[in-house]
Order: sequence, then structure tokens, then C-alpha cells
Amino acid sequence: MKSRLGSVLLSLLMSTSVMAGEYDLTVDRVEIDTGDFVKEGIGYNGASPGPVMRFKEGETVKINVTNNLDEMTSIHWHGLILPFNQDGVPGISFPGIKPGETFTYEFPIQQAGTYWFHSHSGFQEPDGAYGAIVIEPEGREPFRYDREFVVQLTDKHPHSGDRIMRNLKMMPDYYNREQQTVGEFFSDVSKNGLMNTVRDRMAWGDMRMMKADVEDLQGFTGLINGKGPDQNWTGLFEPGERIRLRFINSSAMTYFDIRIPGLDMTVVQADGNNVQPVSVDEFRIGVAETYDVIVRPKDEQAYTIFAESMGRSGYARATLAPEEGMEAAVPQLREAARLTMADMGGMPGMDHGSMAGMDHGNMDMDSSEDMSGLEHSSMEGMDHSNMDGMDHSNMEAMDHSDMSGMDHGAMTMGKEDKSDPFYAKGSGLMPKAANGGKFLSYADLKAQDPLYEDREPTREIELRLTGNMERYTWSINGVKYEDADPIRLKYGERVRFKFVNETMMTHPMHLHGMWSILDVGADQWNPIKHTVSVQPGTTVYMETEVDAPGQWAFHCHLSYHAAAGMFRKVIVEGGPESTQAKADVIGEDGGEA
Amino acid sequence: MSCIRSLVAVSFLATVGFSTAVTAQEMISDTTARKQPLTTWGVQFEEFEYRYSDDDEELGVWNADAFYGTDDFKVRLLTTGEYEIEEQAYETLENQLVGQIPISKFFDAKAGVRFDTPEGPDRTYAVLGVAGLAPQWFEVDANLYVSNEGETSAELDAEYELLLTNYWILGATLDATVAFSEDREIGVGKGLVSTEAGLRLRYDLVDRAFSPYVGVVHERKYGDTADLAETGGGSTEDWFAVIGARIAF
Amino acid sequence: MTISKFLVAAAAISLSATAFAAGTHGGGHGHGAASGEPGKASEVSRTITVEMYDNYYEPESITVSPGETVRFMVENKGNLVHEFNIGTPEMHEGHQEEMMMMVEHGVIQGGKLNHDMMEMDMGNGQSMKHDDPNSVLLEPGQSQEVIWKFSDNSNIEFACNVPGHYQAGMYGDVKVQ
Repeated sequence: MKSRLGSVLLSLLMSTSVMAGEYDLTVDRVEIDTGDFVKEGIGYNGASPGPVMRFKEGETVKINVTNNLDEMTSIHWHGLILPFNQDGVPGISFPGIKPGETFTYEFPIQQAGTYWFHSHSGFQEPDGAYGAIVIEPEGREPFRYDREFVVQLTDKHPHSGDRIMRNLKMMPDYYNREQQTVGEFFSDVSKNGLMNTVRDRMAWGDMRMMKADVEDLQGFTGLINGKGPDQNWTGLFEPGERIRLRFINSSAMTYFDIRIPGLDMTVVQADGNNVQPVSVDEFRIGVAETYDVIVRPKDEQAYTIFAESMGRSGYARATLAPEEGMEAAVPQLREAARLTMADMGGMPGMDHGSMAGMDHGNMDMDSSEDMSGLEHSSMEGMDHSNMDGMDHSNMEAMDHSDMSGMDHGAMTMGKEDKSDPFYAKGSGLMPKAANGGKFLSYADLKAQDPLYEDREPTREIELRLTGNMERYTWSINGVKYEDADPIRLKYGERVRFKFVNETMMTHPMHLHGMWSILDVGADQWNPIKHTVSVQPGTTVYMETEVDAPGQWAFHCHLSYHAAAGMFRKVIVEGGPESTQAKADVIGEDGGEA
Repeated sequence: MSCIRSLVAVSFLATVGFSTAVTAQEMISDTTARKQPLTTWGVQFEEFEYRYSDDDEELGVWNADAFYGTDDFKVRLLTTGEYEIEEQAYETLENQLVGQIPISKFFDAKAGVRFDTPEGPDRTYAVLGVAGLAPQWFEVDANLYVSNEGETSAELDAEYELLLTNYWILGATLDATVAFSEDREIGVGKGLVSTEAGLRLRYDLVDRAFSPYVGVVHERKYGDTADLAETGGGSTEDWFAVIGARIAF
Repeated sequence: MTISKFLVAAAAISLSATAFAAGTHGGGHGHGAASGEPGKASEVSRTITVEMYDNYYEPESITVSPGETVRFMVENKGNLVHEFNIGTPEMHEGHQEEMMMMVEHGVIQGGKLNHDMMEMDMGNGQSMKHDDPNSVLLEPGQSQEVIWKFSDNSNIEFACNVPGHYQAGMYGDVKVQ
């Protein structure tokens, strides 16, 4: 076992040393075939997704990027710690890369793990301009595996990014085909009674909010490593091996719930940083996040990697198999998600009296809906394992729980009661594992080896995540990027950011250049991330050690939210002399903070 | 516990990281499109249809609008026409050009001009209106008009959509016009002038870009307006069967 | 922990402990016969130092002869609680459920052990002491010895069954030759 690991490491080492830290990337128009449709898009070195860039911690890399497009481009190295002028955000890090021009990025690699890169210009990223980054650590990994695969997800849409943005501006529900219908009204009536249903519809109609407003962009085909569900990307393994899967969500807009029926997944890394291992049956990956998991398929059979979109409007699918061509059953999509009044908890300006009145009726309903949801999911879980049949490990698991009887039942009941504290209580987005088992929560993420010493933050900055779905405007503290002053931080301080989500959508907030230490209540063990999901109706805290001078982007990573204005520039003032940024043009940004 | 990253990073930069010639880096100012207001546009034919009345009258009808602008200011062109196919004449032909700004979370204010150039006398109006989404999902558009003859009138449009499924949609519309003074020349009496109510069942065939529909439309004139129409030999109440498509691009 | 939470936890523990006693787990504590038996200090043929890091062992593989008695000097050099447990993969799997409970009930808290909780009697004479001869559970910085006499079973691993650690690869192979 160990020697095999050694040879994997050796081959990695050799490949990086051969490349000697210099890489070439071309930005090209490419054809993207999802199996459902073929479209023109943008890719790297002639393909979308682009190549997997393999770096080694401690090396300095030089990357020559040639723009073969007829428009400006850029590459942002998502999650990498580097000098700000190498961060690849046009207008903030550098002017961008002109058509025909070659720009050379050069920066030291100071970290290890799974990351990704993408264009930060226009809608090139949703149009296909993304790729994976794998950085090998200087020392050994604190876990073992025999094989590894990058599993890069995206939500490829037949429309171009520009067209999607325009359609959303014209009709915000342009792509929403999971809206509540007359049929759903009657099924709700039979479940909850006529008056409750009418009251519920009136409450939502009064707010002019849609329960179905979970995914702005539907109608996509989920891709894994560029392959659609029918094209079925397949990773080969030998039974008994440990496989490291490096999940990267490069979607424009889509959160995925990922499971591999028949396999436990042990999460060992989140956003490139090692976490204390936690075994789960399913996890939700936010846009721009990465999770590394280790799986150990013991049987000579195929396993489906099933990634269902959070709103259940689509999915991506791939296979792990001992031989090419083998496949396992592909589960059905679960029922479309529906927001609840709990998800509206952050909405300001709602008159209190009517809220209270409404709340009552709806809270009852929510809980009854929750109950039925529970029953439903557990029934589905049962169905699945029955249908899969051949799935040996599932069968064993079932036998086992039967034998240990009520004790097990009691345990799982206890677990299901435990709702994820990073969702509003009673939220319609509350994750539940399809098999009734363990669903990863942010609260499970603990740093394996904290990067920073824990200390008191020097100050708190409140960022309300705001927007208006009917106008498709998205902003921070009610101000769009075009009207906003930069956020000014001082080198050396530790800032506590308070995200208050006042919208009904989930926002993956991404701060460039500096780590986001997500407050999960674990003090020095709080995990270190680059992208933090903030669920509707919740408040989430993260802390940042301000250790990178210069100016940085800070935004919601949903492409069309960022473009609509949920975006900020962060200026870090001061810093060590050698790296201190010149503040010549700050005046032009009208800073007053 | 591991060392403090900032120290590592700084010392690293200090010793090795001069490849990017970092002594003092320029902080540029953002002049990219992202820092500019997002400009967008759209064209929508809410109605583009053939009408056949209970009097065997045949009409070609459209009701469309096009906009261009930002969140804060849009220019909108609205056009409505009813073309009598047999007589080859426009029964109505209205074109409005308005500027539009948001005034509340769900409503916009509009101001501009309207040109009516049907068969017969023309009119030019000043327009002031509000449009938006009322509670319980009613799309409303209310306008006040002052004509070049000095006559004032108001129009209220409301629309509601019932989702039979996510692709089969039943749309109900109601337009009502009220005149505050008489304009005999164009057949408008004081008081409630006319209403048009429609029910259209559409199917979203190509995204929301092309949705064919069938439906019924009921038009009625009231009071003095009805009298004026009768005097002129016109009808005061019509039922139409309609077939058409809703188009957006 | 509030009193009420504590009581609930205690009740849950006693409930599940009962089930464990009556259960059919093949690899619980004290059933280490398949992998060998506690060794006598006088029979020790050699000492192997095993260092535990987050989350792996040094060394990751050892070779023993059938019937050999080995003294393991186990040192936790990591920042987290780790276990050194000699058994078959099936035994480890069974033990992992018990360890999961210890985490859920706050006995194992990242880099600390709650000793009071471990000592607590759960009303049926059982506790979460984790005092079986084939294993040690150590806080960061602690070290302890395990004397083990191996059988001829060659399907043996030493493993850390703190939730997630084994799955992430914190185990070592025992080659019996």
C-alpha cells in the first residue's frame, strides 16, 4: 500500500519538476458538447474545462497566458494566496489581457490543496473559461490514498452568459420552471387543508416572493469534467483502493448535493485546507467551493457519483468503476425545493404585526411540511436501496441496523432532529441525506492544522446581502458595486465580517487574496475557506487576518449576482515596505470609509 | 500548532518573491464595465394575434414594448395596434415613448409622450404613469393622459397569470379607460369609456421567447362613448376568438 | 453543558450501551482474541515506537512473527486525540461506532478527552472508559505502552478509530511472517 502511494507521489513530483514551474495557457473559442446540446464557448488550451494545473508548494510558477479571443480576458487563481497584481481581476489587480496579447503571471506557491482558475472578465467563466489547480504539499498529506481524480462540476447552459443576464433582467423568472402550479395548490390543499393553503399563497403573494425561487438559472446540463450525464465521465479503480476525489464546483449559479450511493465519503479538505476528517453520506457544494473526499470502494462494481442541483432542476453524473463501460443505477431527482417563511427571516421592512400573524399559520404548515418531507426522504431512501439491490454495502448496512434494533433507530432519530445550524430553522433548503444518513454541515468542518493563532478580532464589519428579485438587482448593504466605495482594511488587523442575508437566495461570498476563517464555533479549530455560503434568513460570521496588501475583489460568486452588483473592492492599507501598495489613485474611487 | 501564515508569507516574499518586481505595486482604478451601470434591453410582444369577432370582423392586433437602459433609467417604447384586415385600416394605433425610473421596490414611474395615429383624427398626449407588480402577483400599469386638445383620460391595465403547469399558462388581462372630459372627434365620451378583457391559454414552446396561444377577448364601450359608437354605426360590444403568440427577444 | 442536556446525553448513553451489550457487534472492546492477546512484560522480544500524528502513524507498517510479544511505545505527537488499536479491519469497523458515540457525547473533543465523562457509570456497570488491552486513546503529548502477543492471524491492522481518522488513512499494516 505504502509503496503504491510512494509511486504516485514520485510521479507527481517528476511531472512537476519536468515542467520546472513554467506553464503556457491559451484562451480559445472552443466547442462544448454536453450530450444534450453543442455550443460555442471559451476554454483553455483548446478545451473546456481547461487543463488541470499541477503545482508544488514552495515553487515559483510562471504562467504565460495568450489571449486568442477578440475581446479582453483574464485569469483569476481562485483561492491562491499571491501578490494582488497577480490575482487576475481586471480593474482591480491589473488592466486585463488584450486580444492577441500574452500576459505572464508569476507568483510563489505558498499552499497546497485543490483549487481552480477561471476568467474574471464578463461572462467568460459561465461560458466555459475554467480549469482545476492541484497543489502538492511540501510534506506528506495527513491522509492516504492510492489514486486521485479531479471532479469538476459545472452547470452548462445552452444560452450565452450575456443572453442569460439580459433575460434575467427582462424577466427574473425567465428560467424558473419549478414554480408553484395549480396542481401543487390542490395537492397542498389535500395535505394542509384549503384555508391553510390559501393563507400560505396569500402570504407569499403579499410579499411578492416565490417559494420556488431557489435557482435563478434552470435548464442547464450538469457536467463533470466536461462530460454530461449521458457521456458519463468514468474514473477507474481497483477494489479496496482509497480514492481521493477533488470536488470543485465551477458552476455559474448551481449548488450541488453530492452522493455516491453505496460509499461513505470522508471529507478531508475544504477549499484547499485540510479539515479534521468527517465521514458523510452526502454533502452540498456551494458555487466556487472545493471539497476533497476519500472513498474506499471495496466491491468489484460501479458506483454513481450523483450531483443533484439544490433546487432539483438538474443533475450531474459520473461513475467510479473497476472497468470502462460499467455503470450503476442513476437515482431519480428528488422533489423540487420550496422556500419557507423561515428563509424570509432576514427580510427587512416587513410589517411586524402581519408577520406575526402570518408566521403562526405558516410555522404550523412548515412543520407539517417538514414532517412529510422527512417521511418522504426516508421512504425514498428505502426505495433506493431496494431498487439498487445489487448494492452490497447498502444491504449490509440495512441488515446491521435491523439487528441492533431500536438503539439504531433512536440514534438516527436523534440525528435527524439535529438540523444544520447554518440554515434558518425550518428552512426549505435544509439539507437531508437521500439515504437518511449524515449530511455534511459547515458545523462539522474543523481545521486540521490551523493556519493562524486564534485571537480577538480588531473590529467587525457588517455586510448585509441585499437584492430585489423582481428587478434582478443584487447588492451589499443595499448598494451596487457601481455606486459603492471600497471597503478599507488595515494591514495587520483581524476583521470579523458579519454577513446578514436579507434575500431569499443563497450567496457564496468569496474574498480574494486573504483567507476566510469561518466561525463554526470551534475557536482555534474554525475552518479556513475562500468561499463562504450564506443561506437565506441567516447571519454568518467569518474572520480575516488582513495579511495581504493591495486591493482585492470581494463578491458573491453566483455569476449573475456578481454582475448585477453584489461585489466590492477591498483595499488593504499599509503593510511591510517591500510589498506596500501605492495608493496613488485611491482618490478616484472616492473612498470615505 | 503551525506557524503564523503572515510571517511565513512575508519572509517568503522578502527572500524569494521578487520575480514580480514587487517593490511598490500600482493600485489601479476600476474603469471596467463592471464598475459601470449594467445596460440592458429587451423586446416583448405580449400580444401578437389574429382576432375574429362575433360580427365576422377580422383584426390583426399587437401589443408590444421595447426597452433600453439601466436599473435607474430606462427608455421604453410601447406600441399597440388593431388593424382591420378587410378595410385595411388601423382601428387603433398607439405609440408611446417614455422614460422610466424606479420609485419603490416593485413600482416604476413613467413619463413621456403618446402618439395616436389611427384611421381618422390623430392625437398627441403627455403621459404620466406607474407600472409594477402589485400584491398577489397582479402586473399593473396605470397611466394618465393629457391630449393636445386638453382632454384628460386614464387607463388601467392589469394582468394575472395562472400556471396550470410550468409550461401551460392561462393569462387574464383587463384594460379599462376612463375619460375626464369628452373628445367627440375621436368618439370618446366622459366617464368610463371602454374595457377589454382577455383570457389566453399559452404554451411556452421555445423558452419564454415564443409562446403560441389561443383565447377569447371581450370589448365593450360604455355610456356616452357607446352612444357615439352606435351613432357612427359601430358596435358597442364584441367577442373575439384570438390566436397568436407571445414573443420575447 | 446544561443539566438537562447532560441528562439527555446520559440517558442516550445508557440506552445505547444496553444495546451494545446485547448487540451483535463482532469487534467491540475486549474481543481482541482474533488478533492476539495481552502480552506479558517478561515475554517482550522487542520494543517498537509508534508515533501518532494528525492523522497518520510513523511507521505505517510493521512486521512481526506469529506468537511474538511486542511492546509498543505509543506517542501522540499530533494536536488531536488519537487511538492506537490492534485488531482486524472488521473489529475496527465495529469499534468506530463506539468511538462515534464518544464524540457525540463529548468524551472526545478534538484535542481533549473528557475524563469525567469517561468514568461516568451509565447505570448498568458500563462506562466509556476505553481501557481495553489492545488499545490506548491518547491526548496530544501523552504516551503509553501496549504489550501485545500476536497470533498467526495475518489480517491485522493498527488503527485510529476516532471518527474519520481510519477512513482518512490513519492505520498501519501488521505483516505476520
